[in-house]
Amino acid sequence: MVLYDSTALAGNSSGSSSSSSSKPPPPPLQPQQQQEIDGLLAGAGYKVRSSELRKVAQRLERLETAMVNSPADFSQLASDTIHYNPSDLASWVDSLLSEFAQPPTCPSEFVMDPVTNQTVVNDAWTTTEPNMPQVHQNISYEQQSLNNQLTVVTAMEEDSGIRLVHMLMTCAECIQRGDFPLATSFLEDMQGLLTRVNTVCGIGKVAGHFIDALGRRIFQGIGGGSINGGSAYENEILYHHFYEACPYLKFAHFTANQAILEAFDGHDCVHVVDFNLMHGLQWPALIQALALRPGGPPLLRLTGIGPPSPDGRDSLREIGLRLAELARSVNVRFAFRGVAASRLEDVKPWMLEVNPKESVAVNSIMQLHRLLGSEPNRNSPVETVLSWIRSLNPKIMTVVEQEANHNQPGFLDRFTEALHYYSTMFDSLEACTVQPDKALAEIYIQREITNVVSCEGSARVERHEPLARWRTRLSGAGFRPLHLGSNAYKQASMLLTLFSAEGYSVEENDGCLTLGWHSRPLIAASAWQALSDAPAEFPAPDTHRPS
Amino acid sequence: MVQYHHRGCHRQGNHETVGENKEKRPKFFINDHVDILIEILKRLDCRSLCVAASVCRLWCTIARNDSLWENLCFRHVSPPPTSVRSVVLALGGYKRLYMGCVRPVRSRLGRARRASWARDEVQLSLSLFCVDYYERLGGSNSNGRVVGESSPSSLMFLCKPVNV
Repeated sequence: MVLYDSTALAGNSSGSSSSSSSKPPPPPLQPQQQQEIDGLLAGAGYKVRSSELRKVAQRLERLETAMVNSPADFSQLASDTIHYNPSDLASWVDSLLSEFAQPPTCPSEFVMDPVTNQTVVNDAWTTTEPNMPQVHQNISYEQQSLNNQLTVVTAMEEDSGIRLVHMLMTCAECIQRGDFPLATSFLEDMQGLLTRVNTVCGIGKVAGHFIDALGRRIFQGIGGGSINGGSAYENEILYHHFYEACPYLKFAHFTANQAILEAFDGHDCVHVVDFNLMHGLQWPALIQALALRPGGPPLLRLTGIGPPSPDGRDSLREIGLRLAELARSVNVRFAFRGVAASRLEDVKPWMLEVNPKESVAVNSIMQLHRLLGSEPNRNSPVETVLSWIRSLNPKIMTVVEQEANHNQPGFLDRFTEALHYYSTMFDSLEACTVQPDKALAEIYIQREITNVVSCEGSARVERHEPLARWRTRLSGAGFRPLHLGSNAYKQASMLLTLFSAEGYSVEENDGCLTLGWHSRPLIAASAWQALSDAPAEFPAPDTHRPS
Repeated sequence: MVQYHHRGCHRQGNHETVGENKEKRPKFFINDHVDILIEILKRLDCRSLCVAASVCRLWCTIARNDSLWENLCFRHVSPPPTSVRSVVLALGGYKRLYMGCVRPVRSRLGRARRASWARDEVQLSLSLFCVDYYERLGGSNSNGRVVGESSPSSLMFLCKPVNV
């Protein structure tokens, strides 16, 4: 059997996509150039169009890998295979690939070959991805060749995954350069590649979301469109499922509660301001802890800020009533106030009705980053909000933020960082096997991805910044850091041990706690106290740790 | 632990009366002394307590008594202040606290456990229990979530993964 020289053919095509990762892609062919090449190919005896050549080249590479990895099947190919007319390159290559795929463990990646039970095998694939399938010991020869096939195809799937990542980066780079036609062609290629990759888990799933986001950016522009218009009700449901599916929000709530509890020690009149009430899932645990604290519970006031509900339901008040009922059951004097505001910068301090005699705690779970603009200036919303927080003189401000740098001005840098961050997050989500309905949690994450990638200007609200930058910003605004303490660390470690997935790690970072997956921190919790005398313009005195 | 049952239902007595047990009244029948029974059951572990609850109606009623489960929850911990009891009862009772939170927390933390964590385990269980109560409060207004399961959603991560 003779292998046709694939390199010569690849050279004629518009660049095989597998090698395009390192060098910039050559420009697409003009129509008359294509016709010329078609003519040349026909003259040489090949029945193939130049537009198909890229795909044929990819499949030839695959064939080569398959042959190299399972030399035992060569003899079979030589004798039993029915070879198609090699001048019809595309179908010839496909028929050879299907020969390799003949045993029933072929996954549906081999699209051209209608192996009967390929859907069955796809399920088997789901359990073995992303790890290589463990080869069983003491197997017969047939099983061994089957396993070789599996190994072959896993290598190809990984290869496709890597290819997807490279194409994503290249597409993002085109968008940064402004070359939208090329970006569009990459997008189409990626969508094609996506059909051959397992999108249920692993890199395929994350890539799918990023491809969607890039598509939105290219075709719908950077205005954000409908993604940010998801109703408050939907957002609450998605948030709730994200809360249940993975420990990030639980970690945030428990750590913040511990810090607030310690700050309120000895105070009898306390007031908590929550920047994003949602379903109020953070507060039952605090109410219970206050009920059981030595010395008895204080009078607790809670002010919850949330978006206004459009259809007349006062969702803030409903949550307040629920929390009040809980507080009544455990004998804690409780008062609730709801402040409806669609943006945090619309809230004014007088709306919170803070009593000067009470101790105030401000709680911001992933809200401060929404106030950032693209360029730092003195009157940006975050500075305004931080200054009125300071004017409340809170005993403690708990800040939990995503630990990522998604606010860089350059699109490609932002895209790269987001790809790494959300891949890690999806990995951690997959490892939690208990939740049957992770789909809604994934949609929650997907909305973040879409906002980071496809929106600009005021539509882009997911402007995550890493802990180091928040430290600088908050110190500059007149806050000093409070150490979170060993109780918070102990509680966080215990909480994580409860989760069935074993890759989570809590780390202490200079008084702040970060939760991460396999030593990549994903979320950071910190606590701050307002400096009562230093005005906002001057840097805070260096009695505290430098940031 | 099944021996308690045997001793209760058969007479405890001197050995010389063994042969004549059918004619004499039993000298000691544990079900007549419920306070002793409770003291014994208080010292059982969870599995034995559940087995004991299947013995007879009286034992079942006693085993449902929340104070037994309170003992289980605070077994390795120094006795908590009395205010804890009212809170736990308001949130659903000790049996629910144990079965829903303390038991899975203890078994999950079993591998990484340190003796000093016992009190923190109970505190963490209490917090999780409270969130669970809060979710149950909102159950009727809940938004299209499947409510058919016995264990509410925020504690799902404590359940054992089912191999489908």
